[in-house]
Amino acid sequence: MLWIAAAFILSLRMPGANPEGALSVLMEPDGTGTWRMLIAQFEKENPDIPIQMVEGPPATNAREDLYAASFLSGKAGFDIVYCDVVWTAKFAAAGWLRDLTDRLSRQDLNDFLPQELEAGSYKGRVYRIPAFTDAGMLYYRKDLVESPPVTFDDLERQAQQLQNRNRWGFLWQGKQYEGLTTVFLEILWGFGGEWIDAKTKQVYLDSREAVKALEFLKKTIGTISPPAVTSYIEEDTRTLFQAGRAVFLRNWPYVWTLVRESPVKDKVAFVPMVHAPGESSAATLGGWGFAVSETSSRVEDAWKFVKFITGTEQMKVMYERMGRIPSRRNLVPAEFVPIIEKARMRPAIPEYAQASDILQRWVSAALTGRPGCEEALKKAAEETRALLGHAK
Amino acid sequence: MILPYTKDDAPMRKARGIVRNLQQAGWYLPAGILLFLVFVYPVLRTLVLSFLHVNLESGFQPVFAGLSNFGRLVSDTRFYRSMQATLVFVSVSVLLEFVLGLALALALEQLKRSGRFFRTLLLIPWTLPTAIIAILWMWFFNDQYGAVNDLLLRLNVIEAPVAWLAQPRSAMAAIILADVWKAFPFVLIVLVAGIQAIPREMYEALEIDGGTYWHKFRYVTLPHLLPFIFVAVIFRIIQAFAVFDLVFVLTGGGPGGKTETISVYSYYTFLRYMDFGYGSALVLVLAGLLALIGWTLYTLLLRHYEPGR
Repeated sequence: MLWIAAAFILSLRMPGANPEGALSVLMEPDGTGTWRMLIAQFEKENPDIPIQMVEGPPATNAREDLYAASFLSGKAGFDIVYCDVVWTAKFAAAGWLRDLTDRLSRQDLNDFLPQELEAGSYKGRVYRIPAFTDAGMLYYRKDLVESPPVTFDDLERQAQQLQNRNRWGFLWQGKQYEGLTTVFLEILWGFGGEWIDAKTKQVYLDSREAVKALEFLKKTIGTISPPAVTSYIEEDTRTLFQAGRAVFLRNWPYVWTLVRESPVKDKVAFVPMVHAPGESSAATLGGWGFAVSETSSRVEDAWKFVKFITGTEQMKVMYERMGRIPSRRNLVPAEFVPIIEKARMRPAIPEYAQASDILQRWVSAALTGRPGCEEALKKAAEETRALLGHAK
Repeated sequence: MILPYTKDDAPMRKARGIVRNLQQAGWYLPAGILLFLVFVYPVLRTLVLSFLHVNLESGFQPVFAGLSNFGRLVSDTRFYRSMQATLVFVSVSVLLEFVLGLALALALEQLKRSGRFFRTLLLIPWTLPTAIIAILWMWFFNDQYGAVNDLLLRLNVIEAPVAWLAQPRSAMAAIILADVWKAFPFVLIVLVAGIQAIPREMYEALEIDGGTYWHKFRYVTLPHLLPFIFVAVIFRIIQAFAVFDLVFVLTGGGPGGKTETISVYSYYTFLRYMDFGYGSALVLVLAGLLALIGWTLYTLLLRHYEPGR
């Protein structure tokens, strides 16, 4: 009994139980040791501001939930928030992030990629300072593909021709999760469609373009994409591609670093995602940044760290050691510029998580089952409208 | 002044009684406080929350909602779908666990010494954390290098690898299989305990009367086992209704939301959508339903049960 009581009391103190005055931040698993290195550098320059990095789970939404739980518990859990693009609006709307707009210099405002800066803003105020950017792209086997595809038809035809018993045509992420939203959006935008207008809260999911996009994805399953594609996430597709088991792969820039140490290292290149004739390529914008928690008692110190970690030199290190693409314009490596230019934001609305879940559920349902593409998207549009109308 | 000890010391006795009662109450206090903190308080808070709007929209400030959270629930198709998925999961997996647990409990009873060894062996899955089991099964069910496909291909049951987690039905089957594997040992152990508590003389008496194995099972084992069956099944039903980790790790509720159980839905409502009022309403309905099932099962199985009869 006493033991349970003790455990209970201890658990109350657990979140943010940091050694004497260290600023805490919840991060991804630091596989390469880069974050540790950068933090050590900061602590050397600022010996009076120790940083405590908590390595969280690799799944993004799990870390989102951990942050939410820590903020909801009321006590200052974390001083600094390592923040994904799609959380910013929700966290800012909840009043958990500090408005950093006036702390940015004019030079910074010009220097950061505009879409990353916008993705870190809510209602015109900046809450999240971008550290690195992400965008979906199409990898292909340059030893097999003569000229990379430009349109959806090209992709389909080439995949069909080049696949064989041991090699699929096209790999993408089809499990019901956030990754499916990002894949679907690139196809949707490539057909000239749109999901939600963040400003007017208009929903366009039942448009003809959206139906075409979903029909394209559905048609790939079992023809140029493996039937199990509807259970794949990024890493499933990357390992298959790296093992030489596919011609095309839709994935993020991080694959570029890893693929060059794999069996297919000299056989891979990438282009922006394909599009419909007359339309243009689109990439779903990802990316991470740093924000200061509203509940932190040491805002100035936390800001110092955020400013440091989003600095030019640190971004270079992140690119070199982790393959993360810097979110400052002049630092983006030349080969990635065409991709990053195409990157588009997912709607920055507080209800993003719900809206994305509605989309994922119906797209996944159409891909794996009975509802036709048109019917599924109509239902998704209805539910999304109800959500955004309800939560005005 | 010393009170003379007389027969008429009722007030004193009464006073002593009160003191003793207070003392006894004192002993209960630590447990009571703990129970209040971890059980009564959360239940009451959930009840209160379900009549409030506490969400992003309200800035987490409580706004009285009346019955509107429950009203929303009535027209929420996602709620019905998750209820349906939960009921399918619970009924199929608990049934399989019960059948498998009972069959093996009876079989192990036939073995003399090696029974204990197998019992321990079979108990291992039950002792492992579910989240880890879920990851294990995710590897088993992988279409490319998973053990399940490999085995079925070798046995010529299937011709091509099956993408288990990629289709709603097979994904649900995979979740159920993982749950049965983990949980049937619990049913087994409870029923083994029940079988061992049955007096041997009953079987001997039946043997003298010329009873077959079926008679022994039907007229001795089963009636004596009823309370144990009740305990095992009700525990499994309650746990299965709250299934979260298996679904969360294996499918996240997909494909197409077809494996999303009610507890996964309420988790999303609380932590991802941050809608505490509606989330509480969801949880309350689940709790109410469980109480109903428990009561029904009790009346069906145990109302007429009298030990020793």
